[in-house]
This record gives sequence, C-alpha cells and structure tokens, in this order.
Amino acid sequence: MTIELIRPGAHRAAPVIKPLVSRDCGPEGCEVDWLTSRRIETDLDIDAFNRFALEQGWGDGLPLIPPTDARVRTFLSENDRYPDELIGTMPDSSECTVEKIVINAVMAGAPPESLELLIAMIASIADPDFELYGVNATTAPVYPAFVVNGPVRHDLAIPYGYGCLGGVPGASAAIGRTIRLLMRNVAGQTTGGTSQTTFGSPGRIAGVVTGEWEEKSPWSPLAERRGVAGSAVTSFGTMGTMNVIDTTSHSARDFLEMIGRSYAYAGCNNFSGAVPFGEALIAINPICAEIVGREIPRIEDVQELVWKYASLGEGDFNKEHRDQLALQERIRADGRVYATPEPKDVLLFVAGGLGGLHAACFHTFGTSLAQTKPVASAQAAQAQAAE
Amino acid sequence: MATGFILDPTAKRADDITSPGPDAGSLAGKRVGFRLDRMWRAWDWISEGWAEKFRAAGADVVFWRSGGRSGDEGERHAADYEAFLNSIDIAVVGLANCGSCTGWTVRDAIQAANHGLPTTAIATKNFEVFAHEIAARGGRSGLRVHVLPYPLNEQRREDVELIGEAHFEGVLETMGANLNATAEAAE
Repeated sequence: MTIELIRPGAHRAAPVIKPLVSRDCGPEGCEVDWLTSRRIETDLDIDAFNRFALEQGWGDGLPLIPPTDARVRTFLSENDRYPDELIGTMPDSSECTVEKIVINAVMAGAPPESLELLIAMIASIADPDFELYGVNATTAPVYPAFVVNGPVRHDLAIPYGYGCLGGVPGASAAIGRTIRLLMRNVAGQTTGGTSQTTFGSPGRIAGVVTGEWEEKSPWSPLAERRGVAGSAVTSFGTMGTMNVIDTTSHSARDFLEMIGRSYAYAGCNNFSGAVPFGEALIAINPICAEIVGREIPRIEDVQELVWKYASLGEGDFNKEHRDQLALQERIRADGRVYATPEPKDVLLFVAGGLGGLHAACFHTFGTSLAQTKPVASAQAAQAQAAE
Repeated sequence: MATGFILDPTAKRADDITSPGPDAGSLAGKRVGFRLDRMWRAWDWISEGWAEKFRAAGADVVFWRSGGRSGDEGERHAADYEAFLNSIDIAVVGLANCGSCTGWTVRDAIQAANHGLPTTAIATKNFEVFAHEIAARGGRSGLRVHVLPYPLNEQRREDVELIGEAHFEGVLETMGANLNATAEAAE
C-alpha cells in the first residue's frame, strides 16, 4: 500500500516578501520603504476592523481584510510593479497608484496574480472618454462592467460560460469588488454624498467581470476588434443587465431581430433626450452565436442588423420627449431614433452557458464610452520593472 | 485586543481654495456668460429672464450650451468652453439638478473660477449639499452656489418664471453683483 503524502503545491509555497531596493545609497543598494500611504493604528480583530472601516467610509458592508503592511507587501512582492507608479487620475485629480490598487485589492480579497488585470481595469475607467466624473455622480445606477479577453481569462479563471455575469465562485467577484472599493476610496464615490444614485444596483458591490468565450465565437474577440489583441479588458458603463429570452426563433435574422427589439425601450438611457449619444453592449450565447455565424459570417453585418432593430419610432415617445430628442437631433429622416449613432457602436461578444436561449443586454449610461486596454503579462511587467 | 497598523486605502487631493473668488461688481459694460445644458428647460427659462434684467443694467449677455463629454465631441466641447470662458467677464453656470449634471456644472464652474472669473454655480435645493461637497473635492470649497427650489423642471413655465423673478435679488447677492452702473466708480 502506498500512502499518498500531502504536499503543498509549488504555487502554494509561502511567498517571500521581496525587498524593494534603491541604489541611491550606493551600488550595494539599500532597502527603502516605498509605501507612502498613511499608517493607521487600529484593532486588527476582524469584527473590530470592519466596524472601524465602515466608520471611516471605506467599505461596502461586506467583510474586509485588514490591509496590514505585511499583506500589502506580500501582494506586491508577487508582482513586479513599483507601488508609486501612477495608473490613472480619477475624478477631482485624485491619483490611483499601484499602492492604492493593492491596498484595496487586499481588503476585497483579490489574489495577487490579478494585479495586472486590475491595473488595466483602472486604466480603462480612468480614461477621460469613460467619463468617470459623470458615472460617479449620477442619479443613475450605472457601474462599470468588464469583458476580459485573451489568455488572462484562463490564468485567473474568469468565467465566460455558465453564470458568467455573476455567481460563479472564483476570483472575479473579488476583482470586481476591488474596482468598486477603488471607485469609493480613490475616485470618491460615496452613495448619498458624491453619488446621487436614486436606486443603486446589486452590481455596485462586485460589478460584472466576465470573459468572452472566444473559443466558441465565430468572430474575432471583442478586444481584438477594438484594436487590442491578446489579453485585454473592455470596460462599459452599464445601467445593469437585462435578459432576453428567445425559445422560438430559428434563423439568425430572427434571433437578432428579437435581441434588437428587446434592447430598445423608451425609458433606457440610450433613448433619453438628455443623452446626446451612447453605445450598446450585448452578450450573445454560444449556441445562438454559432447559428448567427453560419448565416452571417461578418460581425459588421450582425451589428448592422441588431442596430436596425434596436430603434424606436418617434411616435413611441410623448411630445415632450420627442421635442427634446429633436433638440438633440436624434430623430432620423426615417422617423426613427436609434439606440446608438452607428452600427459599429453596438458592441457584441459571445459568452454564457451552453443551454443557450438567452442574450444579455447592457444599456449605456450616456456619453461614457467603452474603453479597451491591454493586460500586461507578468513577464512584460517584470521587464518593465527591470528597465 | 490585537492592535496593529493598516495602510490608508483612500486618496484625496489636499489643496483647497476657500475663497469665493472675485465679486461680479457692477454689471454695466460687462459680458455675462450663462452656461446652459441640454437637460433642464427650467434653467433655459430662468436664465432668459435673468439675462433680460442683466441687459437692462447695461450688460452684454451670451449663452453657451454644454454637450457630450467624451470622444471627438468631448474634445470640441472642451475647446469651445475654453473659448467661451475667454470671451466673458462673469460666469453663471447651471444647472445642478441631478447627479451627473451637478458634477458637470460644478466642474465647469470650477474651471471658470480658476480662470479668475467671478463665478456662480446654480443648483436646486436637493443638490445643494452635493454641489458644495464636490466643489470641495474639486479644490474650491468656497465656490459660490445659488440655490433654487426643488423640484423645478417639473413645474409649468409661468411658475418657473415666477421663481426666477423671486430669486433675482438673491442671485445678485450670491454673485456679488449690483445693477448700479456708478456703484464701482463711486467706491
């Protein structure tokens, strides 16, 4: 009889905290304290810390892990980024550095290997065209949804099949929660204070972090179509998720008509007279995508069909709304109002379980535009740090 | 109790200008710029009424309407607004009447104030505290904010115009403005 001995996997070996060395003191180098955040003395008991964090306005009500010096250094030591690196300037000129990302990631429970994805996510929402200033402040329930492409999906087990928009155990919830904590603690979004959101959203706790099921898609990956091949993330300011069921259609055109018509409703921000323009994001399930891809191989043609149906006639609005839409020059010569200015603004990706039947629609907040950023590999970040 | 040190997860700008900026003073001979938006017709109606009174006091009045903030339109918008600020002597910026539009109103007002213009942001009552809070986050806690009643946009035009009329003296006070052409000369 052979007894299987329990051995920790190599990847589970306790990480050694790597010292950050400066050569400013001579060729031998000396260890310096790169962490510049204020140190706060507090009770580290988990209950006491969480009460303290809530009082400070740092948390979302779910348990947080105390971001001790050791935890933050351990997280950093498993990556190759300097903590003072500025990743993005958030609303009101607050600076989001690697250090702030790591502190919030520790609190949210995100794994150290997610740092490069977190950096790309922050870079995407800090892009001025994402318009985080408006997203943060609005009465709307908007929050960023993220679509992840490339090998990083596998490295971090980002779900892209069953339940990919929420509920799958794994790192994606903590990754999404880290972004939400950063929006609160660095970008300054506090509900009832700097955020006037009327209802909020369940998505304001852990967001949406989904992969694209590229292997089942008849088209090239979403990020690649937007100019970034390989590991990448696309952010989209969404009002939530809206499900579309179709148990009846057979043909590609019928499926796309159903999705397009369902996307268009008068009260969504895509059709608000207060919104000059906006984009659309839609997830097509792999079964439907295969049918569509067989009949309509070009993604541009698929976008055009969805765009055509994702529209409303001017008669679908009452006079006051029609007047405001006319002021925005949103009513076309054909008497219709379209969800997006052009077909290219309908962003499609393939995800979801093999049960098919459903599509997921994401409606825009407004002029917050989707942003796609590359996710650096650990090797690339290492090379960058060595420079 | 096991105490220890944790690292602060927050980041906030440290600088702040607590001054409200210069008074508008006498309006005669000055160019007053109203910043409008595409959301609130009530603000269009009130600013039209106030503009008439400013003109009667000898001011020149111009309007600039805010639009999309991102993409090419956002770039054009930013350049247009900069040109607008360079063309006026006094800025009246509204309307802070929702979450994002309070953000944009205060942001544009801070930009005007940072140009050195006498600047007043206009908010409705429900968004008053919010306007002050994001002005502080934006580094100008002293920003002048005049407050109109809430709800406003839901009211009929004639009622909104009456509100504008009733608030005219108040907005002059917030702006540090007067209608007396000779007031400054006499000082």
